Amino acid sequence: MEDTLDYVGKPVPRKDGPEKVTGRARYTVDIRLPGMLVGGILRSPHPHARILNIDTSQARRLPGVKAVITAADTAGVKHGFVETPRYPADQDPLATDRVRFVGEEVAAVAATDPYVLAEALDLIRVDYEPLPAVFDPEEAMQPEAPEIHPSHPLVKEPFSNIAGKTETQWGDVELAFEMSDYVRQDRFESHLRTHGYLEPQATVASFEPGGKLRVWTSSQGPFIKRAKLARTLGLPYSAVRVSKAWVGGAFGGKIDLFSHEFCAALLSMKAGRPVRIEASREEIFTAYRHGQPLILEIKTGVKKDGTIMAQKIRTVNNCGANRGSGVVVIFLAWGFVMLPYRLPNLKYEGYAVYTNNPIRTPQRGHGAPQVRFAVESQLDMIAEELEIDPVEIRLKNARQSGERLPNGDNVHNCGLTQCIEKAAEHTRFREKYGEKYGRGRSQPPQTNEQTPSGSIRRGIGMGVSAYFGGSLIYPNSSSCVVKMGEEGGATLLTGAIDIGQGAETILSQIVAEELKIPVDEIQVIAADTETTPVDIGAWISGSAYVSGNAARVAATQVRRKLMHLAAEELGVPVEELDMAQKSVYMVRSPEKRLSYRQIVEASIRKRRGDSIIGEGHWRTMRDEPTHPSLASTKGRWSENYAFDVQVAEVEVDIQTGHARLIRAVTAHDCGFPINPLLVEGQIDGQVSMALGHAFMEELLMKDGRTLNPSWLDYRMPTAHNTAISEYIDVITEAYKKDAPYRTKEVGEGYVSAILGAIANAIYDAVGVRLVSTPFTPEKILRGLGKLT
Amino acid sequence: MKRLIELTVNGELHELAVEPQATLLDVLREQLGLTGTKEGCGTGECGSCTVLLAGRPVLSCLVLAMECQGQEVTTIEGLSVDGRLTPVQQAFQDRGAVQCGFCTPGMVLAATALLTENPRPSEAEIKKGLEGNLCRCTGYNKIIEAVKLAAESFNQK
Repeated sequence: MEDTLDYVGKPVPRKDGPEKVTGRARYTVDIRLPGMLVGGILRSPHPHARILNIDTSQARRLPGVKAVITAADTAGVKHGFVETPRYPADQDPLATDRVRFVGEEVAAVAATDPYVLAEALDLIRVDYEPLPAVFDPEEAMQPEAPEIHPSHPLVKEPFSNIAGKTETQWGDVELAFEMSDYVRQDRFESHLRTHGYLEPQATVASFEPGGKLRVWTSSQGPFIKRAKLARTLGLPYSAVRVSKAWVGGAFGGKIDLFSHEFCAALLSMKAGRPVRIEASREEIFTAYRHGQPLILEIKTGVKKDGTIMAQKIRTVNNCGANRGSGVVVIFLAWGFVMLPYRLPNLKYEGYAVYTNNPIRTPQRGHGAPQVRFAVESQLDMIAEELEIDPVEIRLKNARQSGERLPNGDNVHNCGLTQCIEKAAEHTRFREKYGEKYGRGRSQPPQTNEQTPSGSIRRGIGMGVSAYFGGSLIYPNSSSCVVKMGEEGGATLLTGAIDIGQGAETILSQIVAEELKIPVDEIQVIAADTETTPVDIGAWISGSAYVSGNAARVAATQVRRKLMHLAAEELGVPVEELDMAQKSVYMVRSPEKRLSYRQIVEASIRKRRGDSIIGEGHWRTMRDEPTHPSLASTKGRWSENYAFDVQVAEVEVDIQTGHARLIRAVTAHDCGFPINPLLVEGQIDGQVSMALGHAFMEELLMKDGRTLNPSWLDYRMPTAHNTAISEYIDVITEAYKKDAPYRTKEVGEGYVSAILGAIANAIYDAVGVRLVSTPFTPEKILRGLGKLT
Repeated sequence: MKRLIELTVNGELHELAVEPQATLLDVLREQLGLTGTKEGCGTGECGSCTVLLAGRPVLSCLVLAMECQGQEVTTIEGLSVDGRLTPVQQAFQDRGAVQCGFCTPGMVLAATALLTENPRPSEAEIKKGLEGNLCRCTGYNKIIEAVKLAAESFNQK
């Protein structure tokens, strides 16, 4: 019998929508506790300096000041985005003897109101001895550069400031280059961008009598926050409870432990009162963690027909003053190189380099946009040289279903070829690309808005990307509990946190599907380290797969219990029963049915009141002990890979150099879209973010100081900066009742291919090849020879 | 020194003692507990703190509370009546115009003000009406669609 899907695969509106459109959704900054103090942080004004003395005595004496902390008040425990034997924790929650970037946290104060707080922060005297600083990663690598931290002991080259290195190879690249018909080497650079989450970082901490620390914080996963807070504060996990608040966007920027979280907690412990710390937007721009600009040098060898023979790649990551996720990006950059296309020979080395810039953190795509921009741009350069069209060269190299990746992973069902073909067909790519359409044409064949003058050129370009869906990083797995309610609805307990991606909605859909209960009648209790089971968090692109399967298993247990009870009550074998609309019925005579309410009553009557509860657990790569080696790439990475192709159509004004994205088409193998409406939302958001990346956004820094710390000067897309966004779902997986499903990620992969597609489209339009982001009018005019 | 002001918020009259430097946003959030109004930047750049002052959208982080003496303010909490969503709220929900939700109160109020003034806005007018409100999640397309949908239901009434 074919299962009909009632709730999964449907564009169900968000469960949290009504709360959010009415202003009732409570975010961290909306939490009010009796006696709550306001906390704030004193930050370093220097990019690199020795701390000679910190004098807090005047601040402590100010009326209204309830607690002041410096490194001397901490347990002296470091933390880090990565904490492994090779890359041990390296960040102090408050600076000890040295500061290494402008904005580094030096002291914190809790006071009765913001005015007292500001005055107290002013009264703290810190004596610094400035030290030489370095900001550019390639300068920082030089042996004579100022030392920020000693180079990693396992890196043998005589470079300074190496936070870590990823190195891997297979095949024989040199031999493969010799056997290639065409070899080229290019260098690509990307720029510094920030996440731009609308909700500022904030934490409320309340240390309660009896020794329990309650925490609400703007995060991407309560369990990792609990672990890091407990460790840095010297508390057992059981003494820290991180609870849910809605999160106003994160995009990678709220994963790691932040000093304000630690400080809010410690200040509350010292003051014995709740403390709220909210970062100002200026603090976020100047001192918080942004994305990671990469330098990529790529040498690629191909056969005449476009078959990729070998790549030799060197990546340099400006990873800021501590490791942060800098050593993860150089690992991931390898992954994003080798995923979409067959690559028989590779030599890869990536360096994460300390500089006197703020610490870096993941940013949606975590390296993929930078890598795919480079690889996809170079692929078009190669295709042009070989006179192959961009569609052909991508089809030639695209990975196919069942292929084994060089790290041993399998791509399983891979819809990349279909994505390329469908995207090309949908956009009439081959007709539009090249001489016929772009370069050399003075008038665009069509525009959706009025053409200002004859100086507009239109171009089309394609990019490919792929992304993993869930890997093994603490806490590695997700569990869920589903319990039946007296009226036949159900409650889902999940540790998943909804940061806007819709976790609560899709998990509800899965439970609804397995139990045939309307989504509205699934209540969700989420993201509380005490009352909900563990969850991997919203930052490893595995929520829909890992947490989703855990919810499915929990709901399945409930279903079995309901079916067995119904079988007993009706006196028929369970095989003769099925369920629909909150009831169990006999397949042969559907009028014989019991509602869930009746079944729950029967359970209470016959099972001494036992409730009907199910539990589910899921871990990706169940038998793997841990994540792959960041240094060598050895070990399994993921069991879910998503693939996508994006086509960009741009207009470039050859008088002003101004380029804009007109239309983006995303053809994507997302496995099975549990909620197509939410998938569209993810794609639109990523296209918009890439549009900002390509044309508008750049965090400008000079000597470690941010020059444009506001949204007036850091220009994020507004309602005027939109592109048409179209979607082609290539569905390669099925959702079946009572069977594990393999859905793929949709939250990070689509911010990447589009960037290469835009660069290629600009080239198609005006013949200007851009090898660095952003794609500014200045660079385009320079390329056109109109600026020297 | 605090000063006394009278403020009608969502139809209720409040007598409030406010610091001269307190913004309307401060008073709404901290004194009246109306936390639906969000602060994204505090410097008038993001639009998250949009409220209606005498029916017109303002950035409450840039308005001093004392300037509002005797005026009427509508916040996101004051839009829906009897628990029923307004056409704008319903359209945001139905069209997938909400993700993280932090910009949503400001967006909904900006859209409401736009449609009150101009019930049949063109796409360009919608963009103009929302230009002061940043959203990072949606890329605006679904928000613009939602405003179009809301305009249809406004006009059917």
